[in-house]
Amino acid sequence: MFFMKIITVEHLKYKYPLSDKLALDDISFEIEQGEFIGIIGQNGAGKSTLCQALVGLVPNFYKGSYGGTVLVNGINVSKTEVSEVASHVGLVFQNPFNQITGSKLTVYEEVAFGLENLGLPVEEMKRRIDNVLNLLGLYEFRDKNPFDLSGGQMQRLAIAGIIAMQPEVIVLDEPTSQLDPQGSEEVFRVVQRLSEQGMTIVMAEHKMEKIAAYSDRVMLLHDGKLIDFDIPKKVFSREDIEEYGVITPVYTRICKNLDIKDENGFYPITIDEAHERLEKIL
Amino acid sequence: MRTLSLYQEGDSIIHKIDPITKIIFVLITILIPIIMGTLNSAFAFLIISLTLVIIAGVIKKVLPIVGFTSIILVTVIIIQGLYYFNNRTPFFAIGTVVFYKEGLLYALEIILRIYSIINSVSLLMFTTKPSDLVEALVKKGLSPRIGYVFSSVLQIIPQMMSTVDTIIDAQRSRGMEVEGSFSRRIRAFIPLIGPAVISSLIDTKERAMALEVRAFNSRYKKTFLNEGTTFKYADVMQVSLISILIISIVLRFVH
Ligand SMILES: Nc1ncnc2c1ncn2[C@@H]1O[C@H](COP(=O)(O)OP(=O)(O)OP(=O)(O)O)[C@@H](O)[C@H]1O
Ligand SMILES: [Mg+2]
Repeated sequence: MFFMKIITVEHLKYKYPLSDKLALDDISFEIEQGEFIGIIGQNGAGKSTLCQALVGLVPNFYKGSYGGTVLVNGINVSKTEVSEVASHVGLVFQNPFNQITGSKLTVYEEVAFGLENLGLPVEEMKRRIDNVLNLLGLYEFRDKNPFDLSGGQMQRLAIAGIIAMQPEVIVLDEPTSQLDPQGSEEVFRVVQRLSEQGMTIVMAEHKMEKIAAYSDRVMLLHDGKLIDFDIPKKVFSREDIEEYGVITPVYTRICKNLDIKDENGFYPITIDEAHERLEKIL
Repeated sequence: MRTLSLYQEGDSIIHKIDPITKIIFVLITILIPIIMGTLNSAFAFLIISLTLVIIAGVIKKVLPIVGFTSIILVTVIIIQGLYYFNNRTPFFAIGTVVFYKEGLLYALEIILRIYSIINSVSLLMFTTKPSDLVEALVKKGLSPRIGYVFSSVLQIIPQMMSTVDTIIDAQRSRGMEVEGSFSRRIRAFIPLIGPAVISSLIDTKERAMALEVRAFNSRYKKTFLNEGTTFKYADVMQVSLISILIISIVLRFVH
């Protein structure tokens, strides 16, 4: 199988204005098309900053000092306007409420916001909107006011507004941290669906069970540095993982305490793997 | 959903007229009586705009505004009736206080003009969705950013108010007294400001970024999902309204 590099980051360094500490410290990595990448790390590790660097909000929104390059689909993000980058890589924020534009009266029109800005013809807009509303299970709410939706629905609407612009990559910064369990589950389900459709996904997230279940590879950040970037099993099996403020999936912790490893010497990270291992032993 | 909109759903012919035509109509009801400066023109426009308000079925919404304004307009009658500089002909007297005919007529003209403006502005506001109004203006060349500010404020302010409600509830549940005397309310208000201001600053930053990633500052020429309220006779009506305005200016100078 031929893999295409969709994101290439080289020696990315960044310092917020008025700050004397590097928020991103010499980060380099590559992401292939269709991969699901999890970003983990404790509070202040630089997850949000990295997410924003992938769409060019860092540095173009904040200014500050910036070094290195971020290429998405061949585009040098820091040297391109955010509105231009938007049709290649989208960003979903934590708070669903702040992503509702407030200038539209229905869910349907809300999705159109970005498309109108891109100057798409009406027919194309309608085709795309119908498409994403169906994909994200929002079609039945198309005539509702966006502010009348539940948290999970609102966050899915935010994702819809981004997906409609047909970016090659979607970045999600803790998309469920402000949602109730049901809303979170709804959002994870649509993210998984997008991944199955072949979309490249980068997601910062504190819920490690979800990271373990969905990610092809996991990026571990600490103090603005990239500590590790590997398959989730390997990252969660690091002996020093807790020093980075990461609480591994509950299944991993149980197996670690019981010293249950697979043939490669890694701890199981999902319930199914743990189950399978335990059955072999018992 | 709370919004600050005055829009009243309806399917009258007035609702179907496009926003720009209505705006021109508002301008004309303001300008022509001023240009003509006659009681008749003020009266004519009051009748026209009142009729349209009735046709639009929003008279019930307009009456309270008229009522409220009337309280203020009583002072106009008193002041002009007593002190208008052209006052010559006594009209009636209450005790030793004399009201003059010239002043009363002048007050009448002002009142007619104000009522007709109220009617025509109400006609615009009650029968036009704010979003349609803003979109029509953006299509006519208003900056999309200014347009966004107008249309989003109507929805976001009520949302912010509900944030404040949430904070008040949170503080109250911690035992803070938020009701009672004025000084108590002020004291209760101070701890509310912090969270409200900080949360709205963070929100504003995030909102600005969320708009950016949806190409808000795009250099492409914006298109519109809604073709807008296309009104068949918009052109004819706009041309006629503007012609009337021009005719009134000409008439005024001929006289
Ligand atoms: N606007 C800003 N100005 C200055 N410093 C900032 C700004 N935003 C974040 N930082 C700093 O940059 C560093 C990385 O922050 P970032 O928000 O990227 O962390 P994070 O991993 O997303 O944390 P969290 O899990 O809390 O979301 C932190 O030290 C933070 O204090
Ligand atoms: Mg963050």
